[in-house]
Amino acid sequence: MSYLAIFLAPFLGGLLYGFERKLKARMQGRKGPPVLQPFYDFFKLAGKRTMIVSRYHAYLGVLHFVATYIALAMLLLGADLLIVIFTHLSATLFLVVAAYSIPSVFSQIGANRELVLVSVYEPIFALVAVCLFLSSGSFEASSILGGTPAIYKYPFLFLALLAAIAVKLKKSPFDAAEAHQEIVGGMEIEYSGIYFEALYTAKWLDYIYAYAFCFLFGGSNYLLGISLAVFAFFVINLFDNSTGRIRYVSVVSFFARNIYPIAILNIIVTGWMI
Amino acid sequence: MSLFSKLLGFGAKKSPWILHYNAGSCNGCDIEILACLAPKYDIERFGAINKGNPKQSDILLVTGPVTKRSRERVVELYAQMPEPKVVVAVGSCTSTGGVFRGMYNVEDGLDRYIPVDVYVPGCASHPEQIIDGVAQAIEILSSKSKKFESAKQLMRKVEPNRPVDRTKIVMKIGEES
Repeated sequence: MSYLAIFLAPFLGGLLYGFERKLKARMQGRKGPPVLQPFYDFFKLAGKRTMIVSRYHAYLGVLHFVATYIALAMLLLGADLLIVIFTHLSATLFLVVAAYSIPSVFSQIGANRELVLVSVYEPIFALVAVCLFLSSGSFEASSILGGTPAIYKYPFLFLALLAAIAVKLKKSPFDAAEAHQEIVGGMEIEYSGIYFEALYTAKWLDYIYAYAFCFLFGGSNYLLGISLAVFAFFVINLFDNSTGRIRYVSVVSFFARNIYPIAILNIIVTGWMI
Repeated sequence: MSLFSKLLGFGAKKSPWILHYNAGSCNGCDIEILACLAPKYDIERFGAINKGNPKQSDILLVTGPVTKRSRERVVELYAQMPEPKVVVAVGSCTSTGGVFRGMYNVEDGLDRYIPVDVYVPGCASHPEQIIDGVAQAIEILSSKSKKFESAKQLMRKVEPNRPVDRTKIVMKIGEES
């Protein structure tokens, strides 16, 4: 079953991304692209001539996809959450190294911002893993899905996770690392053709990865987990559509002043009361 | 293999990513291009997005009469786009020079420097015209191959005072009826 899920993950991620583009268009009062649009983009990109800046830059882009897929596969197989998080972090770092390896200014600015934002959102994922451990007694995704729902004891960590996912998936107001027209996509600027496809598909896998964490908050109550993931999807896209981009320094201070205090207080207070 | 190439052609038809460059335009056409992306005309329903990155784009939308400052940028942006690619000249200025034709600071149209596939008339072009131009560009795009077009070849075509038969593009003054 989980092997089937791993095989289908890119397709599901592509559908989710297409559905998200549709939802965003509907929120803005537009008709929007077809739901299968990411797959059309996929075939289009495969037919483009590939322009490579350097071999290592291109290979690191492919490695980013592979590491993202491995992290997602480990999550779907029910592995240790901390290992999943760190494997996923290594996938991001491959891309950062690739972005630093070429002289493009926008690429380097994007890599700088991404590193700062990684240091902000990755600890939230680790804290989420800690709270899932506290509520179920195990770091393993398969045991968490058999335990009590963590959302009742740690609702504020769920809110913190929403903010972290918004940074991870590069949604407004936390999309300074990608910043569409401002730094033209940041780290992904020099990729084209089949190598950009690796990054584009890794983005689909990130969607599954991020919303799987929301699903874990439901514990053994799968219906609750699914509704939490749908709620997260809707809220993140609502904020993406209705807010402007803030500077990456402001993202750091926003997390330091609001997100980290509520997340840590939630863990301390819940641990104190029980 | 033929099924795969069919899929590639299908994808090229359904997902044109647009690079928009302003070569000294008065911003009239740019406003209309942005109107295409806005809710009323919503060009994204054809899968088109305004990408802003030449390496990931398929269609180059150029506005403006190509001032002398911007001509090298236009050629460079065109050379940075991977094949297959299509160029759309949006507006009278980009097609022929428009009201700026013959002035000392403009280059009288885009086709002196890069090969143009679709000319969209109008000052400023109406969003419906731009969408029609993009739709024709998509047709041309799906017939092009990913064969490399050398930038040097491109530059050789770019000679000053290259005669361009514009009578095929526009009517002479006085002929319109």
